[in-house]
Amino acid sequence: MGKQLAASGIAFGQHMVGIITRPYETYRRIVNKGSLWEMAYIGMCLALYFATAAMVKTSLFRPFLLTRQFVLLGTAATATFLLTVILFWQVGRLCGAEGKLQGFMLGWAYSLVPTLVWFLMTSLLYVALPPPRTTSAPGVIFSIVYLLISATLFFWKIILAFLSLRFGLRLEIGKIIGVSAIVLPILGLYSFGMYRLGIFRIPFI
Amino acid sequence: MTDALYNKFVKRWEEVTDLPPQTVGPLTPFYKKAVIRLKVMPWPLLVVGSLLLVVCLYLLIGSAVTLLVSILQRGF
Repeated sequence: MGKQLAASGIAFGQHMVGIITRPYETYRRIVNKGSLWEMAYIGMCLALYFATAAMVKTSLFRPFLLTRQFVLLGTAATATFLLTVILFWQVGRLCGAEGKLQGFMLGWAYSLVPTLVWFLMTSLLYVALPPPRTTSAPGVIFSIVYLLISATLFFWKIILAFLSLRFGLRLEIGKIIGVSAIVLPILGLYSFGMYRLGIFRIPFI
Repeated sequence: MTDALYNKFVKRWEEVTDLPPQTVGPLTPFYKKAVIRLKVMPWPLLVVGSLLLVVCLYLLIGSAVTLLVSILQRGF
């Protein structure tokens, strides 16, 4: 187990560099040869973020409140991940998808990296430069830079999600659009529920 | 040595041809041209695309972008 975890750690590092520099080639490798152990490292990164977010979101530094917020965020993110994977997998199968669930699940887990980076950046900026932004020159410049980074991360997320569906479910572009057209509205409704519950205002997908 | 190289090539070839190439009808050449830039180091294209989007947004809603950012900053 120790050896597997160490080997997965090295693979995780390589794949992290790969999804930044060579996403296409790396995703093919992740889906075909990746190990589910790598999800442990992704989970650790997410846990670090949830701990940070719990501290930022909780005004009172009480261990109970911090733990509750941490557990709430972790559970909600896990449920969202599982729901997304199951929905894409089931709808994909109906549309003639092949591939292995393990590969798709791992591919989708790596596609959480841009989401994680955005949420981490936003929560840290919330502390450093709390909203609201003003319409002064520095406020507008900050807003433009923030939107620029957000849009870049969003496009990166789209690429990684596309590659998860392309390699994980072995779908072609037309079917990927079709499957997304069915799954995304359902996820939209789910995200609205999350918003109403006050867990994630922006969906952690 | 040659055998090892050949085997490596065959393995790589099988990996690359595992999925049939993506086609999008008459748009296939344009699709290929766009995608080739996204396969390796996609960041310059992503930043340029984002820059265009943000500039359009700024031209469209002006300093109201600060309102959008204030909402997004509370969104985590």
